[in-house]
Amino acid sequence: MGFIVYFLAKGLEISSPIAFSALGGVYSERAGVVNIALEGIMGVTALTLVWGAITFQSIWVGLLVAILTGVLVSLIHAVVTVTFRVDHVVSGVAINVFGIGLSRFLCQSFFGAETQSKINPYLFPKLLGVNSLAFWLIPAVFIGWFVLYRTVFGLRLRSVGENPEAADTLGVNVTAMRYAGVLISGALCGIASATLFADKWITGMVAGRGFIALAAVIFGRWDPLGAVLASLLFGYADTFRIVFESRLPIPSQFVQMFPYVLAVVVLAGLVGKSRAPAWDGRNYEKGED
Amino acid sequence: MADTLLELREITKQFPGVIANDHVSFDLRAGEVHALVGENGAGKTTLMKILYGLYRPDSGTISVEGSAVSVRGPRDAISRGIGMVHQHFMLFPPFSVLENIVIGEESHHAGVLATGTQRARVQSIMQENGITVPVDARVEELAVGLQQRVEILKILFRGAKILIFDEPTAVLTPQESAELFRTFRALTSHGKGVIFITHKLDEVLAVADRITVIRQGKVVRTMDRAGVTKPMIAELMVGKPVLMEVERPAREAGATVLEVRDLKVRSPRGLAAVDGISFSVKAGEIYGIAGVEGNGQSELVHAIAEGVEIESGEILLDGSDTRKWSVRKRRENGITHIPEDRLKYGLLLPFSIATNLTLGRHDKPPFATRLQTVNQRAIRESARRIIRQFDIRTPSENTPANALSGGNQQKAVVARELAADPRLLVASQPTRGVDIGATEFIHRQIMKARTEGKAVLLVSADLDELLSLSDRIGVIFKGRIIREFTHAEAVREEVGLAMTGGKAGEERAG
Amino acid sequence: MSGSRRRISGHLVLSQAAPFIGFLASMVVLVVIVVLMKESPVKAVEAVYKFALNGAAKLGAVLSISIPYYLSGLSIAIAFRAGVFNIGNEGQYFVGGLVGALAGVYLHLPAPLHIPVVVISAMVGGALWALVPAILKAARGISEVITTIMFNNIGFALVNYLINGPLSGMAKGVSLEPQTKKILPTALFGKLNGFFRSIGWNVPDYVYLDYSLVVAILAGLVIWFLLFRTRQGFEIRAVGTSTDVSRYAGIKVRRVQVTAFLLSGALAGLIGLQEIFAIRGFYTYNIASGLGFDGIAISLIAQNHPVGVVFSSLLFGFLKQAGYGLQLSTKVPNSVTYAIQGLMILFIVAINAVIVRAVRSMRRKEQG
Repeated sequence: MGFIVYFLAKGLEISSPIAFSALGGVYSERAGVVNIALEGIMGVTALTLVWGAITFQSIWVGLLVAILTGVLVSLIHAVVTVTFRVDHVVSGVAINVFGIGLSRFLCQSFFGAETQSKINPYLFPKLLGVNSLAFWLIPAVFIGWFVLYRTVFGLRLRSVGENPEAADTLGVNVTAMRYAGVLISGALCGIASATLFADKWITGMVAGRGFIALAAVIFGRWDPLGAVLASLLFGYADTFRIVFESRLPIPSQFVQMFPYVLAVVVLAGLVGKSRAPAWDGRNYEKGED
Repeated sequence: MADTLLELREITKQFPGVIANDHVSFDLRAGEVHALVGENGAGKTTLMKILYGLYRPDSGTISVEGSAVSVRGPRDAISRGIGMVHQHFMLFPPFSVLENIVIGEESHHAGVLATGTQRARVQSIMQENGITVPVDARVEELAVGLQQRVEILKILFRGAKILIFDEPTAVLTPQESAELFRTFRALTSHGKGVIFITHKLDEVLAVADRITVIRQGKVVRTMDRAGVTKPMIAELMVGKPVLMEVERPAREAGATVLEVRDLKVRSPRGLAAVDGISFSVKAGEIYGIAGVEGNGQSELVHAIAEGVEIESGEILLDGSDTRKWSVRKRRENGITHIPEDRLKYGLLLPFSIATNLTLGRHDKPPFATRLQTVNQRAIRESARRIIRQFDIRTPSENTPANALSGGNQQKAVVARELAADPRLLVASQPTRGVDIGATEFIHRQIMKARTEGKAVLLVSADLDELLSLSDRIGVIFKGRIIREFTHAEAVREEVGLAMTGGKAGEERAG
Repeated sequence: MSGSRRRISGHLVLSQAAPFIGFLASMVVLVVIVVLMKESPVKAVEAVYKFALNGAAKLGAVLSISIPYYLSGLSIAIAFRAGVFNIGNEGQYFVGGLVGALAGVYLHLPAPLHIPVVVISAMVGGALWALVPAILKAARGISEVITTIMFNNIGFALVNYLINGPLSGMAKGVSLEPQTKKILPTALFGKLNGFFRSIGWNVPDYVYLDYSLVVAILAGLVIWFLLFRTRQGFEIRAVGTSTDVSRYAGIKVRRVQVTAFLLSGALAGLIGLQEIFAIRGFYTYNIASGLGFDGIAISLIAQNHPVGVVFSSLLFGFLKQAGYGLQLSTKVPNSVTYAIQGLMILFIVAINAVIVRAVRSMRRKEQG
């Protein structure tokens, strides 16, 4: 019984980085901006989390710093795509590259070493043996769902991703909504990275979770609840691997592959084309015929 | 005399090369349905865009309920009570009717949507105006007629008193159209005013209180419904302008090149766009297809030129069934196509004119050698020849296509498709957006193709163009050819009437 | 007419300006960072010059580093030209490199034959790794961005397993890391330093200017020729510009996309050649990683042109060396160059977008 509880809790912890960033991805794409830079943003926020925690001797300040960093880096993506109307994927790739470089540079500046930070002793309290921040996912899902579907803001955000021209004529500020979607995804990346490994930053620690989050967004049909459930699927599959790795007759590397293969299988197997917001990834220019 | 809701006086709007609205005066009274009738390009859309704030008039005044206003944009228009139901709906398909109506004007408690209040507001608007739609249904699940009602409710929700409908029945079934006219009556009985833009003369006579006819940017006449007949309106719409007659060498049409039998094509929305159409085009003949846009012409053209979305029926080229042919095969067998949207389909804008002139033949000699290398010299020489021949104004053949004016871009597309020496040329709106000089030139080239024995299928919204060029005209209406005219028989008024679904010699007293 | 000719070439110049402006902008940022770190810009420039540009050995090192960068950028250029976002060249070069290495370990062929076979095997390996994402895109329209990234990770794991398991060539007490058996001498890439010395460029032997340079040059020529001199290359560029117009012109869009995709994978397979066949002599999954992603940056900066990629890959090589120079002689850390690279791309794509739109509206105004 104790083991089951541990498994459930551990799975939640392992799923949260994916889930939080997927939740952010939903907001960004619902507003019409594809954000493949979640990975790069998380890399930077994970670093500033550790720095903030050590410098201010509080993990909560570290969390705040991480969120702010996420907002700032995603702001670049927002400016480049919404204001300069660059292709979303190109910008996302550029930010990923920039993020990797920036995190290394900051690590070297803060800690003197390029590839890993000092150890951060200020951590979130543990609950049921795992990082308690992970449990925030539960209220986060509901808040995410509620804001998107039950508030004026959420309705307008969704309208912009669906038909920016119509939204514009109805008085919705398309630019503001798109910025908001992207910045929210940045902030959530900050939280996501705090549920990863808050004790130390190592280069490459995000290990593709930002991209799995994107797969979760698609699999979850751009819905907060769906995306988080999909993230849990990936996360628990990974937990299964970690827990049973040594006992399986399969070589560990194949088990390691599992979440990624699962993502491909899931995407390939989706029946019909799932429906992204109609203007997801397309730039909108007022008055452009 | 009922109150005047809206008055436009001496509205003038010019674009480079054309006067879209020429001292247009128009008024709308409370409680009336006022129909605005005219051909494509007559100026109706521009006028409405001015009213709705999308354009500014060069001169003239707009008054709403007696006070002069300046409409700065759609949001400004609606705040003054001017609402527009567009031909292409501005809806959010996956959202509910309720959401579609309230976005931008939501009821809320500190940011949280107050669904109950919203529902009550919408329901009261529906009751007030006698228009009902299931409030919680997703818009994409609704029939088109109901979707249109959502659009109407949107503007009523925002206090519209003047409702403009732009070709509202273009996408409706006959039953839905009847429903719409009942809605008009409901609206006007509540003191609202309806401006009804349409081509369909039946509808005008069925529902309008007053009729204003616009032609070439000017108001021809405004009249009361009483005593008006369809032929009267048609004649006012179409007038008797001086035709730009192209020289027509006498010609015996040859063998049948294209034969279309019982073709059915579905539109993206799933409606039957082409509904069992049959016609044929012979060598050395120009067959024109006349019709109001939206009667299946686009789908017909795409089916012949690219083979898309064919549900049933046959398209035979010199007797061979083309249904399974790829685009490449169609071109190899001599079908070329001047697309109706040259920017979307016809030109690779960043590439040079020379390269664009080879599209469709780029993989054949002389442009590509047997080793599959590109023969730049042949491309350039051919381009220079074509540019000279067609008088395409460009600094050089290496200029990128996006640097050319619209008229020269179109000339390039026409030149390319003709230079490929086709058996069948499918020309869709070949002179759309093209200045007079280029238009005359293109017409001469199409005539030349005819003289050389090619078969030409000409689809155009420009009736003058069709009348002047076609050996035969087929009028397309609701996806079928309902009447054919020979060149001699084709009289403007008759063809115009047929285009609106009317029959010859029909007289209907008011 | 001559007035507009002048204006047209003015527009052309403008549209190529973005990379230069972006580069300058990022250099400005670099100088700002240097100053902020309380370092003298003069000292920084000196350090960079000494380490990256001063003398045959340093220049040779820049060239040497640029070779894998070039192949990586080229693999991305061909994909992006077709509108295919192949982010998977990381995985493709790990897998391709392994396949090439296996051909070098297990096949017994005379040298003039062995080396081309090894190169082709690496290409096949890379293309194979791009195959599934390519098919998923063509058949089901699934975004290649995500699938190729997933395949990167799958590729790493697969290679890891193979190297630690059935393909292991570790010798107890000798090998320091999991690796294959040693590549046969007939397949190893020799050095070209002697050749360079004979033409007056004194590159010392510890700088690796090896056969992979030849491979890179050949690949560049082939791709350039393909893209700009063949009909298939034209179709690739057309599809990348507009699938609608391409379809209208009779081009088989999906076939072209898959071809470009596989070609991209094949080129990616070549990225690891220098390290595997010239430097190490065996394959290990510890070969330098990140070259794939760098290739994306390199190609974007060069606007996806095979000739432009030459310059941007040399630039990256230079930046890398410059970074080391800064690290050795000043307080500025090496990692700043990574950040600057990313910033450079952002500047370039943003400025390019602005320029494209400015040129378009200028042209429109000219037509009245």
